[in-house]
Amino acid sequence: MSHSSDSPALVGTRWVELGLTLFTTLIGVVVMFGSVEQGIGWGDSGPEPGYFPFYIGLLLSAASLGNGVLTLVRWKALSIAFVSRSAFGQVLSVFIPIALFVGAMPLVGIYVSSACFIAWFMWSDKARATPYSKWKIAGISLGAVLASYLIFALWFKVPLDGGPLGEWIAQTVRYFK
Amino acid sequence: MSEFDSLLQGMNLILTPGHIGLMVIGVLLGILVGVLPGLGAPNGVALLLPLTFTMSPVSAIILLSCMYWGALFGGSITSILFNIPGEPSSVATTFDGYPMAREGRAAEALTAAFSSALIGALAGVLLLTFLSTRIAEFAMSFSSPEFFAVYLLAFCTFIGMSKNPPLKTVVAMMIGFAMAAVGMDTVSGNLRLTFDQPILMTGISFEVAVIGLFGIGEILCTVEEGLVFRGEHARITPMVILRTWAKLPRYWWTIVRSTLVGCWMGITPGGPTAASFMSYSLARRFSKNRENFGKGELEGVIAPETADHAAGTSALLPMLTLGIPGSATAAVMLGGLMIWGLHPGPTLFVEQHDFVWGLIASMYLGNVVSLIVVLATVPLFASILRIPFSIIAPIIIMVCAIGAYSVHNSFFDVVLMLGFGALGYLFKKLGYPIAPLVLAAVLGDKAEDAFRQSMLFSDGHIGIFWSNPLVGGLTTAALLMLFWPLISKALQTVLGLRKSQLPKAKSVL
Repeated sequence: MSHSSDSPALVGTRWVELGLTLFTTLIGVVVMFGSVEQGIGWGDSGPEPGYFPFYIGLLLSAASLGNGVLTLVRWKALSIAFVSRSAFGQVLSVFIPIALFVGAMPLVGIYVSSACFIAWFMWSDKARATPYSKWKIAGISLGAVLASYLIFALWFKVPLDGGPLGEWIAQTVRYFK
Repeated sequence: MSEFDSLLQGMNLILTPGHIGLMVIGVLLGILVGVLPGLGAPNGVALLLPLTFTMSPVSAIILLSCMYWGALFGGSITSILFNIPGEPSSVATTFDGYPMAREGRAAEALTAAFSSALIGALAGVLLLTFLSTRIAEFAMSFSSPEFFAVYLLAFCTFIGMSKNPPLKTVVAMMIGFAMAAVGMDTVSGNLRLTFDQPILMTGISFEVAVIGLFGIGEILCTVEEGLVFRGEHARITPMVILRTWAKLPRYWWTIVRSTLVGCWMGITPGGPTAASFMSYSLARRFSKNRENFGKGELEGVIAPETADHAAGTSALLPMLTLGIPGSATAAVMLGGLMIWGLHPGPTLFVEQHDFVWGLIASMYLGNVVSLIVVLATVPLFASILRIPFSIIAPIIIMVCAIGAYSVHNSFFDVVLMLGFGALGYLFKKLGYPIAPLVLAAVLGDKAEDAFRQSMLFSDGHIGIFWSNPLVGGLTTAALLMLFWPLISKALQTVLGLRKSQLPKAKSVL
């Protein structure tokens, strides 16, 4: 990753525009395909289930193609950078941990993954003059997790999946009762 | 029963310690989400939704609506002190609010912002009090074609009036409709667009989309811009409050005009953001101190704030009476209403009399509570923004993830949230609007039902949407709105009107 101050462009806005256009067109096609499966015509009891969504998919694809054409028309003007290399690095440095956090959730449970996520985020903050102390990191990450347990699971009765650790604690509590 | 009696009844219902406590909690949470980057009123309300399922609908709506008021107030704190709009609708407040704070007049700017916001909000509630029953009664005669025409009008207004490119608005909206269609079809019971994936059977929840698009997307944008919060300090003393209040009557005309703009934009789905910009540009155009705008002019704070809150509250009028939300947050609340088993629309006023008037009464009280709470807690919330980003960001992300999970207790929803987060980031950067997507995701099923019913009535003839003057008028108005950008351009060239200055002024902002 380049850390130079002028930070070259990673990709032109036009390519991202075109990519997103392609993506939304595809969604439209998928929606139309799924609607055709359900029948888009007129059944015994009036419009079939796919009747309305089909036109949604059609409009979505058509509008996306329109956007694609507009992108091509403004091709020159859209050559400006979508995001600079270093800025995108910043975005990835947040996005990848979130993805890992989300991926770890079903495996180790919400509490453990959340605590690790917050702790990692604080630990890896290199922009600070003095890094956070171990105690501060532990205190904040565990405190946030405890607060979410109290608010969600205890007070508002929204059960959160504790994963293996949560199960183990629940079992221990039951054993001592 | 007259509106006044109903209102008294509503007041009676909500004047309990429990409900007032909920108001204060709602307002505090609202200011918090309004102040924090990445959280805003729409996803704040979406995050709280799962927690309200165990409450009575009246308590739940008090909590959620007060959160909305709190978020609107909180947005102005960050705009004025930090030059960072906490909410899109408070962007216009930064133009003069931040320069005032730089001059050391932060307390004055904040007091003016909050006070004019209260005036705007109360005007919106008054409108709601005296118009809603009438509109609901009128709408009682609506059948499916009329309802579909009203939906069409709402969606077309979004496309025609949006400052985003129309085709991009259409794309965002259609994605919302497609989302709403996933899962069980309400009429035939067939599973649609699930492609035999059991995980898609329950459909895609709009809450998850809101949390991802607004929450995660916003965080990613914030990171990219590398925001550093360096704010001005403010201490609000009773003296400053009184001195600012003494100045307010001088701006009565600005306040009246901004209120009118706000109410109009709130009822039609222009929303608070458009209202605040429009009000600001009008104030600048008609002000005596035109040159001082952008350099710290009190009027430039009053105008957008009044309109913002007037629009925020009057957005609930079409939501309650017609089932059409005037803003993204109102859309999320409408979704909540449906989850609680209420049917937004004219019948609500008959079947859920207590609920409706409890809500309206709580809006009077809730906004006054907001003003008091927000004046008292500005230093506290300003200090929250000084917490380093590397602490606040992971906590916000955790709250978003838990919020998405708790909608259906499903990890798949958390993954969806992440996907919507990435989409939200791209949408923001490429100028796609998010509000129409949310609106369509919430209203999709209802709009489709209305459309299918109408088609059943007419045996598939589209002419039913012009079958009587009312529905015909609505449909025609919808089409006019849809093509408004083209029509106004044509009018300008034909008549050579000077009107072109208005859109110009808007785009300059």
